[in-house]
Parts: sequence; structure tokens; C-alpha cells
Amino acid sequence: MNNSNAPAKSRGVVLFAHNTPTVNYERIAEQASRLITYTLNLPTTIITAVDDTSNVRIGYANATPWYNMGRYRAYDLSPYDETILLDSDYLILDNNLLKILDTTIDYAIMDKNQSPTGTVDTPAILSIPMVWATAVIFKKTSKAKLLFDLVARIQRNYGYYKRLYHLKSNNFRNDYAFAIADNIVNGYQPRQGIPWTMLTADKPIKKLEIKNNNIILREEKSAHVIPRQSIHIIDKDYLQSDEYVEFVDTVCQIK
Amino acid sequence: MSDINELVDQIKQATDYQINKRILREKIITDLHFTYNGGLFKATPELFSFVVCWNSEELFLEDTYQNPIKVNRKEFIDVCGQHYQMAMNHWHIEHEQLKRTRKV
Repeated sequence: MNNSNAPAKSRGVVLFAHNTPTVNYERIAEQASRLITYTLNLPTTIITAVDDTSNVRIGYANATPWYNMGRYRAYDLSPYDETILLDSDYLILDNNLLKILDTTIDYAIMDKNQSPTGTVDTPAILSIPMVWATAVIFKKTSKAKLLFDLVARIQRNYGYYKRLYHLKSNNFRNDYAFAIADNIVNGYQPRQGIPWTMLTADKPIKKLEIKNNNIILREEKSAHVIPRQSIHIIDKDYLQSDEYVEFVDTVCQIK
Repeated sequence: MSDINELVDQIKQATDYQINKRILREKIITDLHFTYNGGLFKATPELFSFVVCWNSEELFLEDTYQNPIKVNRKEFIDVCGQHYQMAMNHWHIEHEQLKRTRKV
């Protein structure tokens, strides 16, 4: 039975955006925020420059500075009781994440990832299940707080945890920290995350279009017809382009 | 632009039916999930049939997150059935469109 006197819990989306010399993350986050407002009808909070500790990106934009050290503060900085914490390069084009907020779980992390061609990012973490911190949904509960406290501890002592969990990468990634923290919080047992697969466009993008509720993803050598759904975009050059702003304009004009 | 270059350009724009079909299926699996009484369920024929066959009006079902969720049988059949039908209809319509799409 619902308690009609209980105050409604606040819900919202938190994005982290810290500009680097090569990527204007704040510009990307502004567009992400427009998509979120339109699709999920939730308020968005963009957190900028929370931690100036520089990391170095490996892979995309290899060897460029990368400020990814402040994510553990999302629990304290989020103004919402129930938060969807997202990377600003995750384009919200459907409302499936709201389903997780409607459950009673403390938190859920994306743990399945696939490119349009079916390939997956080879995880550097082999001893426990990989998760992707691209999308983390949490409520302000003691269990969720423990998760974020552990992420902070893992970040501070990354050298130790890297050896303990046989990480192949020297570079700190929130994905690894959340995977380790999730494993510890759950008594070193695998746990169900967000129970569907995140679609990641891992190749450079020529154009994104929306037609008849389908997304046309044009890459250099191929094109994909994708039913309208949220997409993780690796190509930051595209996300900073005027073409991307036009894509967001179009999405926000049609249902 | 030479004919060959034009041809190469056209081939690059071609889209792969098998890839699009797999992406669509993944999306439908996502859409098949629904929430009920604080639990998350995937609408499957097995789940639907089980609840239809159950012989009392109240039962507990294990959800995706391994929590036992109290279920009103009739209400759950309605929610699960409607959700299943909506997602599968959508799959059928989208799949018919995809079969006709070779170039985008």
C-alpha cells in the first residue's frame, strides 16, 4: 500500500563534463541534456571541473589529457534522490532507463556492451565481470553510498587494485573502478546490472539521421538502420560538430 | 567522378540486413522488459504461460534482480500480455521494413 503522505522522490540525470584541450565536453553535455529533457522529461545537472587531476586517454584520442577522476563524487553531488548518472557521449533516445528507477534496487550499472557489428570492447579486466560506467543508476541508499565510497578508495589506491584484480591497463578508468566496487559490494559475486545491451558506435561517424523513428548511422564504410534507442558514441569529433547539433534539433522536434 | 568511384561510393552506403536484424532484436529484448510492483520482468511466453496456468489469484515471482515480487495474477497477466504484444507487434512492423531496406 502506498503512503500518500510520503514526499515524492526527486529524480534527475547527472552528467560530468570536464573540457580537455581536444574535447569540449561541456558542449557535448549541453546537447546530451537537451536529448534527456526531451526523451526522459527529467531535469539534468551538469557537473564541470570537479577534479583537475589529469589522466591520459588510451584508445580514442590516444595520449591526450583526460579528466575522469571525479565520478565517485556523483553520490554526494547529485541533488536527486534517484539519479541516472551518464557519460555525456551517451545519447538518450528512448526511455528504457526509467524502468530501472521504478524498481526497488539500490543501483544498477550497464554490464553489456556491443557495437553495431556485434563486436565488443575487449575488457582489460578479466578476473571479474566488466561493467560500463557510461550509465549508472542509483538511489540515495547506504548500499549505493558504499559503492561510490569504494570507487573513491579504488581510485586512490589504483596501483594496489590493479595488481589485485590483474588489470591489464595502467590507465585508470571508471569502468574498472565500478566493476571492482560492484564486485566487492555484492560479496564477490556476479550481480545483474542493467539487463540489456548498450549499443556503442565505435567507429568515426559521418552522419546521424532520424527517419520514420529509425536512426540511420553512417560510418565511413557502412551504414546501419537502428531502431530508435540510446546510443553510446565514441567519436567525440562528431559530437562537437554542428551536424550533431542539427541531429539533436531534429530529434527534439519529432516524437 | 568515374563510374568505378560512384559504384564504390554506393556500395559504402549499402546497409547489411543481418546486422540491422540483430540490432533490432537486441532493441526488442530491451523493450520486452517492464516493471511491476517494484520488480523488473522480461515478458516471455514462458512467464506469461506460467502465470496464466497458476491456480490462485496471488503469487510471488522472481524478478530480473532475483527479488520475490508479490503479484496479482489477473493484473499481471494484463500488464505482461499487453507489453509482450506491443513489443512483438513493433518487432514485426520494423522487421518488415528492414527486409525492404538494402540501401539508406
